Amino acid sequence: MDTTLSRRGLLRAGATAAVAAPLLAACSRTPAADTGGGDKTFTLYWNAGHGYDAYAKVVRKFEADHKITVNWQKFQWPDLQTKLTADIQAGTVPDLVEDDGSGWPVTYATSGDALALDDFIAADGEKVGFPHDWQDNALRNVQYRGKTYGVPLHLTCNLLFYNKKMFADAGLKAAPSTWDEFLSAARKLTHGQQHGVALNSDFGYSSPWILQNGVKYWDPSAKQVLTPADRAAEALGFQHDLIHRYKVSPVPVASSDYEGPEKLFVANRVAMMLSGPWDFAPIKQAAPKLDLGLALPLSHTARATSFAGSGVFIPAKAKHPDLAWDLITRLTALDVELAATAETGMTMPRKSWAANATVKADPLVGAVARALAYGQSWPNGIAATGKATEVSDAWKTAYESTILSNGSAAQAVTTFRSTAAKLVGG
Amino acid sequence: MVATLDRRAPAPVRTRRRSPMRRRQARTAFAFLAPALVFFALLFFYPLANEFVTSLFAGARADEFVGLGNYTRAFGDAQIRHAFAVTLQYGLGALVLSIVLGLVLAVILNQNLRGRAVFRGILLVPYLTSVAIVGLLWRNILDPQVGVLNRVLAAAGLPQQQWLTDHPLATLIGITVWQQTGYVTVLFLAGLQGIPHLYYEAAAVDGASVWRRFRHVTLPLLAPTTLFVSIIGVISSLQEFALPYLVTGGGPAGATDLFVFRVYQTSFAFRDFGYASALSYLLLIVILVLSVVQLKVGQRHAT
Repeated sequence: MDTTLSRRGLLRAGATAAVAAPLLAACSRTPAADTGGGDKTFTLYWNAGHGYDAYAKVVRKFEADHKITVNWQKFQWPDLQTKLTADIQAGTVPDLVEDDGSGWPVTYATSGDALALDDFIAADGEKVGFPHDWQDNALRNVQYRGKTYGVPLHLTCNLLFYNKKMFADAGLKAAPSTWDEFLSAARKLTHGQQHGVALNSDFGYSSPWILQNGVKYWDPSAKQVLTPADRAAEALGFQHDLIHRYKVSPVPVASSDYEGPEKLFVANRVAMMLSGPWDFAPIKQAAPKLDLGLALPLSHTARATSFAGSGVFIPAKAKHPDLAWDLITRLTALDVELAATAETGMTMPRKSWAANATVKADPLVGAVARALAYGQSWPNGIAATGKATEVSDAWKTAYESTILSNGSAAQAVTTFRSTAAKLVGG
Repeated sequence: MVATLDRRAPAPVRTRRRSPMRRRQARTAFAFLAPALVFFALLFFYPLANEFVTSLFAGARADEFVGLGNYTRAFGDAQIRHAFAVTLQYGLGALVLSIVLGLVLAVILNQNLRGRAVFRGILLVPYLTSVAIVGLLWRNILDPQVGVLNRVLAAAGLPQQQWLTDHPLATLIGITVWQQTGYVTVLFLAGLQGIPHLYYEAAAVDGASVWRRFRHVTLPLLAPTTLFVSIIGVISSLQEFALPYLVTGGGPAGATDLFVFRVYQTSFAFRDFGYASALSYLLLIVILVLSVVQLKVGQRHAT
């Protein structure tokens, strides 16, 4: 038999292999699937800043107990949302997702892409303490049409951060409690290259001011945003004036990140900022000697702040919903919450966590825990309209046109309400 | 007439017949082309067709047929018109400045200067740098409080600037020009080196000044390069996404809300895939029309 390969034969074989390889690869199952790896992999989407050791320990135990591999993918919030949206569109979803606390579970529930957890809660709720051990307000962003679609993981809020040394140098003995005191303090603290406060370029940081003036971002009964409108304009106008009239805050930079005030705070360029426990670790790392003070949220017509935090939910097409629920119960157990708090200072949604003696004794965590008592839900159920992100985008424009571009607060509120009315009625 | 048809009938049969060698060659050619055809079919033509189908639907799952409703909606959408206008300003500004600066630099680097090879290399560095790095780099440089640029201005006794707040679109154009000019320069350099020196000598003998030689010899003979640069520039400018995403977030108040960034928001933040697909198709049509117009105008000038 002639075993020599002619040039034409070689070319033909090469071409055939080139064509066949991708087709065969496409048609074949992956090795992981052949060995059961496809079913033995649990996909977890998580915020990049929340990969705490306390959670890693839980995940390792979960893997060992179920003999499953957790594909733990971590993203920044916008990237996580992009990935998840693309996955849902493609029909290949993760098993469990951490959400940013703004109401993703409800948003996805409106399109049938989030799994209702009521059956799990009916079976296990009593044992794991959900929902009765969770603070009531924390549950507002996870319920839709009488069903529960998510479990709050962290519960945080904005409060006033201040530099105690700068306060002492300016002769200020106590942190401000009202808008008037705040403005007075900011004026005393502003000189040279130093500003009294730094407002954030991220429109989300406007929420405490709005709530402190008795304004609701979303009124479900009236189906309107920013009610009453005149008070909303006043609150937005006050923030505008801090920058452009009183000049006690630098103009925030039009940017896609929210870390501007924190950078100035640790550089001793500003004396106050609004933030939350997510900035404890970065401040400690960048300026370990900074004497950080925390004050309760400010008051105008009401003492208030907006809840923040994160939660977890299960996509409707998750391959392992039972395991996902099991992991939820492990991640939100009280001992895990306390371990995460001890590790990072993050604050949690369980009532039993807030009542814990260690939490109460911690000067930073305890301050947040006290501030949580004044917390309100900023979205207030707007996710149920299915238009929360469009409305939020319009609010971003209104905020930036006032705060960054020195526009009229009243005009911005009017335009925003008009845009929102077209989106959600009212 | 029938007779004519009958008489001509065998001819196509004769031309369709190929020798066995030709057939084998054709099969081999197709076999080699097949991977590329499969690649393009799966990753280019199928998504294009799929996107067009998606553009006919609405809803978070793109399952509600609306026909051409998404296309008509786009024409009445003030936000989309705004994004398109911003994108045109951005594209025009970046293109004109890149071409002018690139041409000037190319003419300079085309002289017998010491170290010109090094300069050419340096000019290409911004173009070779990842746009993500470019975005983050400039975001830090332009920060009014802690950025390097304002510190330089302060050291020189000049007033501080709010680059990304007061002039956001101009600043994005500046960053794009900074990144693109090196590439444009290299293209123009190649064009300049393709112009026979004979023309310059003839013009010099005729007493043409340096400017007249540039105006009447260099520029006309660089027309094909200019055409190529302008088409590529327009396409890349209209498709720009990374800079608003990384640097300004589309703000302040929509001032840098470029079209593709708006498409991204529409699909991944608002989950309106049908509308986003329709917007993408409209952009494709605009790019095609602009490219054809540029080609026609360029060819007319060339002839």
